[in-house]
Amino acid sequence: MATLAKPATPAAPAAPGVHPKRLWSLRPRSDREAGDAVVSNFLLHWFPAKVFKPSLDWTYSYWLGTISAALLLLLVVSGLPLLFLYVPSVERAYGSVKDIEWVVTFGSWIRSVHRLSAHLMVAAVFLHLVRVFLTGAYKNGAGRGQQREWNWVIGVAMLLLTLFLSFTGYLLPWDQLAYWAVTVGTNIAASIPWIGPQVRELMIGGRNIDQPTLIRFYALHVIFLPAALGALFAYHMWRVRKDGGLARADRVATAREKAADEPVRSKTYTLLGVARGTAPTIRTSTLEARDLTVNAVPDLVRRAAVAVLGTFAVISVLASLVRSPLEEPANPLVTPNPAKAPWYFLWLQEIVTDTTFTVGGFTVNGAFLGGVILPGLLVGLLAAWPWIDRSRGEAAGVWFHGSRRRQNLVFLLIVLVVVALTIVGTFMRGPSWQFFWPWQAWPELPTRI
Amino acid sequence: MSREQKNRRDFLVKLGIGAGGVGIGTQAAASLRSLLPNVSYDAPTTVKVGLPADFPDGMKFLPEQRLFVFREGKVFHAVSAVCTHLGCTVRAEALPQPETVEVGGAQLRVTHRFACPCHGSKYTGDGKVVSGPAPRPLLWFHLSVSPDDGQLVVDLAQEVGRDFRLTTA
Repeated sequence: MATLAKPATPAAPAAPGVHPKRLWSLRPRSDREAGDAVVSNFLLHWFPAKVFKPSLDWTYSYWLGTISAALLLLLVVSGLPLLFLYVPSVERAYGSVKDIEWVVTFGSWIRSVHRLSAHLMVAAVFLHLVRVFLTGAYKNGAGRGQQREWNWVIGVAMLLLTLFLSFTGYLLPWDQLAYWAVTVGTNIAASIPWIGPQVRELMIGGRNIDQPTLIRFYALHVIFLPAALGALFAYHMWRVRKDGGLARADRVATAREKAADEPVRSKTYTLLGVARGTAPTIRTSTLEARDLTVNAVPDLVRRAAVAVLGTFAVISVLASLVRSPLEEPANPLVTPNPAKAPWYFLWLQEIVTDTTFTVGGFTVNGAFLGGVILPGLLVGLLAAWPWIDRSRGEAAGVWFHGSRRRQNLVFLLIVLVVVALTIVGTFMRGPSWQFFWPWQAWPELPTRI
Repeated sequence: MSREQKNRRDFLVKLGIGAGGVGIGTQAAASLRSLLPNVSYDAPTTVKVGLPADFPDGMKFLPEQRLFVFREGKVFHAVSAVCTHLGCTVRAEALPQPETVEVGGAQLRVTHRFACPCHGSKYTGDGKVVSGPAPRPLLWFHLSVSPDDGQLVVDLAQEVGRDFRLTTA
């Protein structure tokens, strides 16, 4: 009886993307296998085959975008069990959160993972934005057809979605903290002249914060906003690929081109196949500079795994050390003193406290100026900045490039003011929004009138 | 293809796109409109708050209505406890000595002042803003006596001037 001779070593791939061994793609033995890995592995399909080594530097991007994405993943995953345990009704919401915190096995840990990820995601997304600004990474460099400015706009929208997701989640425990933070937040919308009250009524589904508000915030929090953020996230990543990777890659390419004696424009460098003539083009001299590129598998995969798994580890450990607060049940009759918005809105709360002014008998509510106009202007300016920034393409992908010194300084100043106001609002505001140094004791106040 | 045919094709293409746009737009508008409540289940704005005799001389806070009811003998008035800045409930602090001030052309004995816990707005006992971000004075609401059982009735939808007083029999 004839036996089929088995090959001693795994057969070479029969075709690109076909390989007899599972999980082989994590340890490619050749450039060919490394390239095949990206094509054949679903989880890797959004990576390029080769990446510029400098783009992987820890100290260039600090991997803040990856960390934000890891936190988003963690939020979705930790949100799933909470979805089964939480009841979005004013009678039972508080009780169900209390059960999650005290009765459900591992409930408090899951809630803590969810809450800490949310807080850290706001911080990580903000820091990612700061990094992209300071490196001028929204600028187009050497590649053709790049539209990095639009990816920046998408990013600003994702920051707003992150904030709104966090804010809608804030109400769900239906405790005093939640109720009054949302009272203050939605009354800011009501301070818009003429249409304000209608806007607030649409937001909260009535004149008072009640069941319609809870179900609205719940639906936004668990379906609408995550879906929107997920869609924008996918587009954000796709655009990064279309624009030729991180801005730093352009920088390296530009530098090389200048140094090269006679550059040969020979190849259209596309990352996802043919891109109808609008793909970024980079000269072969830099594309195939072996000293500057590495295979995405395993180099990019390894670093991304370190960032993602590291984030998971930090959150998991933190969540078992830090309990999530749950105050008294929401009581519309008693305003806690002080009543504070979530920490990432406290810089706005600081501003709305100081911006009421009167001109000729006509008083402008500080809430409108500080809560609508000013943040609206800031966000608008932020979104439009790539078109205002007139520096040359060489400034793309460089920390503190000399030609962008002034705008970087102004930007940093605004960031510092926002951070400082947030710190003041968080740690130095006591009862009736009075200023206290952290070491000063707050006066004892009667809790009831 | 003749010119007429081409024009007709262009026209039909535009008509199709337009009809699609109108269809999607209408559906979007219908979905959004469904989120605007047609019926309010909020608490009614006209509320009976008890017999005048049950109110102490001075001030009584009604948490459900977020309202301060002041009494001086047979004279009543009601001041909202909702801060005009961002809607927190203000707190009343008793003055060490009641003061008499002239408010809206009438004398008023003021026994309290108000402070908002959220952003630190401060009001005098008749609702005027002393300091802080509040843009307007606290509202005064209409009080009346119910003809059927003699209870005080507050109308939270009817704002009145600061010279308003209800004198009971």
